[in-house]
Parts: sequence; structure tokens; C-alpha cells
Amino acid sequence: MKEVITTFKERLIDFTMYCRERQFVLGPPETRDAFEIAERGYFLDRKLFQYSLKAVYCKRKEHFDRFDELFDRFWSRYYEDKLEQRKAAIKHKKKEPDTATIIFLGAKFNVSKPLQKEQEAKKTVGANESIRLRMTDFSKVNVTDKERLEELAEELFYQMSMRFKRRLENANRGQIAIRNTIRQSISKGGMLLDLSYKRKRKEKRKVVFILDVSGSMDTYSYYLLRYVMVLKKYFKSLEFFTFSTTLTHVTPLLRSNNEQQILQEVGKNVHSWSSGTKIGESLTEFLSSYGSKFLSQKHIVVILSDGLETGSVTQLKEAVRTIRRKCKTLVWLNPLKGMQGYQPIQKGMVNVMPHLDAFESAHNLDSLLKLEKLLMDV
Amino acid sequence: MNKEIETLITDFYEHDYILNEALATSLFLLKNLEKPLLLEGNPGVGKTMLAKTLAAHLGTNLIRLQCYEGLDVSTTIYEWNYQKQLLHIKLFEQDADKKALGNQIFGMDYVLKRPLLQSISSEKPVVLLIDEIDRADEEFEAYLLELLSDFQISIPELGTITAVSKPLVILTSNRTRELSDALRRRCLYHWVDFPSKTKEIDIISKKLPNIEEELASQVVTFIHNLRKSSLHKPPGIAESLDWAKTLLLMNATNITDELVQNTIGSVLKHKDDVDFVKNKTVQEFLYPID
Repeated sequence: MKEVITTFKERLIDFTMYCRERQFVLGPPETRDAFEIAERGYFLDRKLFQYSLKAVYCKRKEHFDRFDELFDRFWSRYYEDKLEQRKAAIKHKKKEPDTATIIFLGAKFNVSKPLQKEQEAKKTVGANESIRLRMTDFSKVNVTDKERLEELAEELFYQMSMRFKRRLENANRGQIAIRNTIRQSISKGGMLLDLSYKRKRKEKRKVVFILDVSGSMDTYSYYLLRYVMVLKKYFKSLEFFTFSTTLTHVTPLLRSNNEQQILQEVGKNVHSWSSGTKIGESLTEFLSSYGSKFLSQKHIVVILSDGLETGSVTQLKEAVRTIRRKCKTLVWLNPLKGMQGYQPIQKGMVNVMPHLDAFESAHNLDSLLKLEKLLMDV
Repeated sequence: MNKEIETLITDFYEHDYILNEALATSLFLLKNLEKPLLLEGNPGVGKTMLAKTLAAHLGTNLIRLQCYEGLDVSTTIYEWNYQKQLLHIKLFEQDADKKALGNQIFGMDYVLKRPLLQSISSEKPVVLLIDEIDRADEEFEAYLLELLSDFQISIPELGTITAVSKPLVILTSNRTRELSDALRRRCLYHWVDFPSKTKEIDIISKKLPNIEEELASQVVTFIHNLRKSSLHKPPGIAESLDWAKTLLLMNATNITDELVQNTIGSVLKHKDDVDFVKNKTVQEFLYPID
């Protein structure tokens, strides 16, 4: 029995490593608890063992939702079959690129030249799998990497959200709060033993995101949307618009806390997804319909677009100039900037460049994470 | 299934709480591994009730700490009884030995025990419910770490107070904010989801034995379909029960448009949600659940 347990413990360590690679935050205490579960013989009952490890290894809902599948994959002999089924399901989805969700998930991009894109993704070499994925252009991620990228994005965005939270915390005490100090002293016979301080919090920012969801941009928009959803609670106000040929106000759809539900809702409601690009017209519409409400010297405006304007360039230039004048900071994210040798020489970009405070790439996870500094420091 | 888990499920059923195997396993580990259990889930799915039922099942006391913003050591762990200390000083101020006087007034006799200290001072293990921890400040989370990992509390003037008996700690959170990794790492975790249709019908039938099966089924179908709509506040089990009770009081046998218009207030607590439902017909919410 002792030998069995030793072998089993080795397998358990493998499982811990397997979960850790999938962004479960597991340290020695969790492994120790898992060993205790094994030593108590709970592994003799599969369900008991599964639910016990689930309680110990999961620390968040996202882990909780994925655990059963990971457990089955690791401990079941049917793993290979399931993988094949999954691959078949993904292929099946790729054959039907007409639904909003599939377009939204960027699968459409892999249909045209999958082999070439796959090779391009593999060209990015790094110290390990995570670094490679972090640096891979979103539009060049192949189908098999997509799931892994989703997991990685989820974890990195979560870590970033924790950093945001810490920065917004009260680091310094403010002035003495006289009213609270007196109130506290009542229970101590009126003696001022403890002083109470006012809180000095960093003020949350107001941000407007305007995303291009035309054909060339929807994969990038998808990840930026996920990025924004993680951050939404750290902004005092966050407004969200999408455009291709027409502008859509999607903030009301972000009300729910369920990320998957939000993505589905946005996919359903944005009718202009994956069509042409009329940036100038859409920005002018934003100015006339929402400008007075969502533009002020407290607002940061972030526009995500490749700048490939199919409408009037003069209108685009004028709209960007007006937005810059009315907001605190204007940031333009252009995924093409991530390409080697890219120069903003298209008509659209040349005209808007002088009015921008920052011009960034946002084409992979690394560049999205760099935005954090931009959004916190401006 | 493990005998102890089976007993837990049966006992909880007798206390009107329907446990599933996964949640029962978490409770089983809470008792056996002596680690706190963090329950997360939407409001109204029965997290607080679980702690109450556990206390009833074990025949022990439930000490509940309801969290809110601004909660601090003096309201949760301990506070010096200043009036008693001052009185003691006045009585013995003529004594020459000032040092002894100082030692006397900082003893356990002068400590007012708050819920956390009470829970570790009890002779018999109690159930400690730290409810809605996400509403408390992060500083308070930090206070909790020592208690959650070592079941002890440090009071500067007295030293470290170790638990006489380890309490069974249950923390609940509605995820209005992210909890720190440090706190999560010290706990077992379980996400309490909305129950399946069959389970929810069981819950309603258990709590309201007089209800007709057809009405219970309609209530649950309606509520489940409501949860699929994007509402500000999706109804929990507590709301299902409230609504079923209301319908029973009105002697209803079926849900009609008129009944929904008049009673939906017991299910939805947000004006936009109420308007959303009032603009639809009952049949739109009574289609079968997958």
C-alpha cells in the first residue's frame, strides 16, 4: 500500500504541475493538502478524490469551471479521444464562419491561409510556451494555440487587474478626521487614544474605447474587449463603442459580470461586425451623438483601428482633431505597428498622427499589458 | 459514496438543505482538513444558509460576522474595556506599585471579546460564518490571515491567543470585488451555482410542502428562464421561495399574466428588470428548460 501511495503521489505531483501550467496558482501548501487527501485514502473513490482536489486546487470561479475537464483529461484514458473530438468540433466551427460568435472569436482569419499563419506563429520563438504566445500576433495564433492563449490571457489580465487594484489603494493617510476621532473616543471615556484619518484615494479615470470591428480588426477587438472588461471596475466611467461602417454604443451590454455572456451579447448586437471601415464617419457620429456626454478634460479616449480609411480622410482628420481638443488624452492603438518595418504612411494615419498623445500597437498580449501603464499614468 | 458524505447529505436534507455531492465533499474536507471554506456565488444561492445548517447539523453555535466597509479590529476581534480599566485605575491609583497596576488592566478580564476571538475561545468547536467578506476592506482581509491559517490571534499587550478548539470557518463572497490571493490560498474553495431545475423544485417542495407540483414546476421554469435574460439582479433561490410562498397565499394553481404583474416584486428588485418582465407575457418565460 505504501508503494502504491508513493507512486500515486508522484502522479499527483504531475497533476499539480499540469494544473500549474494551466494558470492554477498552486504552491507547496496545496500539494501538501493533496498528499493528505491521498494518505487518507480518498483516492480510492474517484468522485471523492475529484471533488476533494477541486476544493483544494481551485481558488476562483474560472478555475472551478475548468477543473473537472482538466481532471478528466489527466486521469482518464480517453484523453486522446476527447482531444480529437475537440479538434473536430473546432474544424466544424471553422466551416461555418457566418455566425457572429465565430467571427467575433477571430476564427474567420484562420480559414483563408491556415498553414501560412501557423508557420508565422511558430516563427516567434521564446524561452517557453507562454512567452511565445505572449509575443504572437493575435491574428496569427493557430487553432491549437487559441485555447492556450485564452487561458494565458485570462490569467495575465487577472494579474493586471490585481496590480490596478493595489495602485488604487490608499497608500497614504490623509488629514485627521475630527468627527470620526471624537466619535471613536466616546467609548473610551472621551479620551483621544486613537486618531482617525481621512482617506486619500487615487481618483479613478474616465475612459472611452472606440473599437474598429471591421474585417481586418475583429480578432484584435476581441482581445481588447476582454482586456477592457477586466478593467472596467477600475474606471470611474467606461464607455465602449464599436464601429466599422456605423457606430454602435455597446456599454449597456457590459452590465453583466459574466464575461462569456458579454461576448455573446456584443457578438449578437454589433451588426456591422467584419464589414468595411469608415473611421472618419463613425468618429463624427460619435462626436455629434455622444461627444457632449462622454468627452471632457477628465476623459482618456482610446481608439483601436488599423487606420485603413475607406471614407473621407479630411473628415477623419477633423474628427480626430476635435476629439483631441475635447479630451485629456488621445491614444491610438494600431495592430499594424507590431509588424516589422511598419510606417504610419497610409493617408488615414498620416493625417491623424499629429493629434495623438500616444500611438501603440496592441497586436499581442505583451503590447496589451503595456497599455496598463498608459492607462494608469496619463 | 463515502459514508460520512452520505450522512452529511441526509442530515442536511432533514434540515431542509439539499446538498450536492461536490458541496458535501467540501464540507467533509472543512471538518477533516480543518481548513476554512470560501464559498462564492451569486446572491441568494444559499451560502449563508449552508453555514446555519452546518451549525444545526453539528448541534453547535453559529458565530456570524457580517462584513461591511470600515470593519476593524475593535469590532471583529477584541476591544479593551476602557470604562472598566479607568475604573480600576481610579480605585487603585493610590497604590504605590504602578507597574503592577499597568499589568492588571491589560489582562483578559479587561478584554471585550468580539466574534473572531469568541470563536477561538469557545470550549466546543463553533461554526464561524464570515459573511460577505468582499464587502470588507482589504486591511480586514489581512487581519484574517493569521486566524485562517493558524487559528490564532495576536493581541499586542497579551501575546498570541491560540484556539481552544478550532472553529469551522465558512467565508462567503458575492464577488463584488476580487479577494486577495493570500486569503484564497488559505481556504478551500467552492463556487455555489444556481441549482438545476429538478433540485430547485425539490427545494421548494421541501420548504413548502403544501405546494402543488405543477405550480412549483412553473415557478422554477419561469425563474430559470428569467435567469437567462440579462437582468440587473437575477433571482436566487430565496426569491423563488418567496414567490412560491406569495403564490400559495393567493391560492394560485397556475401562473397567469395578472399574477405576474401583481407579484413580480417578490422576485425582481430592480425597476428595469420589473419593466422588462411586465412587457412580456407569461408564456415567454414558461418555455421548457433544456
